[in-house]
Amino acid sequence: MTMRVHVIAAAAAISFAAAGLAATTLPRDKALAVMHDRHEGMETIGKTNKVLHRELDSATPNLGVVRQSAAQLQQLSRKASGWFAAGTGPELGKTGAKPEIWQDPKDFSAKLAAFQKAAQMFNDAARRGDLAAIKARYGDLGGTCKACHDKYRMDMHH
Amino acid sequence: MQGVPRQVSHGHAPLSGKQPVWDLPVRLVHWTLAALVAFSWWSAHYDHTDWHIWSGIAILTLLLFRLLWGFVGSSTARWSGFIRGPSAILNYLRGSWYGIGHNPLGALSVIAMFLALAVQVGLGLISEDEDGLYAGPLAPLVSIERSDWAHELHHLWFNVILALIVLHLATILFYRLRGKKLTGPMVTGKAAVPSRAQPMRPAKWWVAVICLAIALAVSRWVVAGAPPFGS
Repeated sequence: MTMRVHVIAAAAAISFAAAGLAATTLPRDKALAVMHDRHEGMETIGKTNKVLHRELDSATPNLGVVRQSAAQLQQLSRKASGWFAAGTGPELGKTGAKPEIWQDPKDFSAKLAAFQKAAQMFNDAARRGDLAAIKARYGDLGGTCKACHDKYRMDMHH
Repeated sequence: MQGVPRQVSHGHAPLSGKQPVWDLPVRLVHWTLAALVAFSWWSAHYDHTDWHIWSGIAILTLLLFRLLWGFVGSSTARWSGFIRGPSAILNYLRGSWYGIGHNPLGALSVIAMFLALAVQVGLGLISEDEDGLYAGPLAPLVSIERSDWAHELHHLWFNVILALIVLHLATILFYRLRGKKLTGPMVTGKAAVPSRAQPMRPAKWWVAVICLAIALAVSRWVVAGAPPFGS
């Protein structure tokens, strides 16, 4: 029974994430605004992640900082559903998003959903406060970041 | 090496037969370093960041080994054997140098390459990428701002290394055009040397094993996050 609920929830999450990738072409200014939001959002995720990395590496992590960062990551991960509308790839402007995102939207959406789920579980663990669980969920979360970035992110400096 | 090599800046010093000039550790370090620097560039360029970090750690181990070998290795491997003052460099340029191993001018290039690589490894160890997904093992010891700064500089500093590699290759070509082959001796360890040169004094093989053990231990310590294993 719970298994089925999970499957339905996962399917819902994927279709929800995929909605953002629908092939309706945005007007240019809207598309640029999406790219801007994406860039700012991803940058904030990166910075938050660095803070977490330092905190969880330290012998005495500050739980307050971890909780705040975890909550922020979860919020941003939800917003990410709206960051990859069709037509916001490198054909429009400078971006770290590879065209492959829109060539294989199903796989991308699944990876995005995995990230959102991991961010939620990490935030839940941070709220409960068990450091071992926090570190384990943080590891899972990092795995979902890498899974997507390995395939769909390129360096913006080149 | 066929015929009688014309020597660069050796005047007309008579040459004796092929003699040992580079010991095995020096040659192994040289070629492994060349391969790892190439691999480091490739792995960074194609986003294999985890491999890149391990390649950097391997370079750290080689540099540590070479540093130690420069004190206790064979005579041509020793820092004290080839680091000379400006007058020795001038003498070399005038053609009155009859040694083996690094000449006094080439020694500057060795020092520059060693220091440039050491700086690059140091910057890499404290770097963190902009996503916060990959970091050098010592990054947690410094602030986020310092890691970002190191990451930027790590990128730029590669140009310094590239310039030194170009200089290195150009010099080899220059000597080659003047009849002196440098690549062969770095492979075989032997070269025709001026007959009045002091022969190489080889070091014991087990001294190299001890140097390697120390280099590996220090690298392992760095990988663990240094001081008391992390911050």
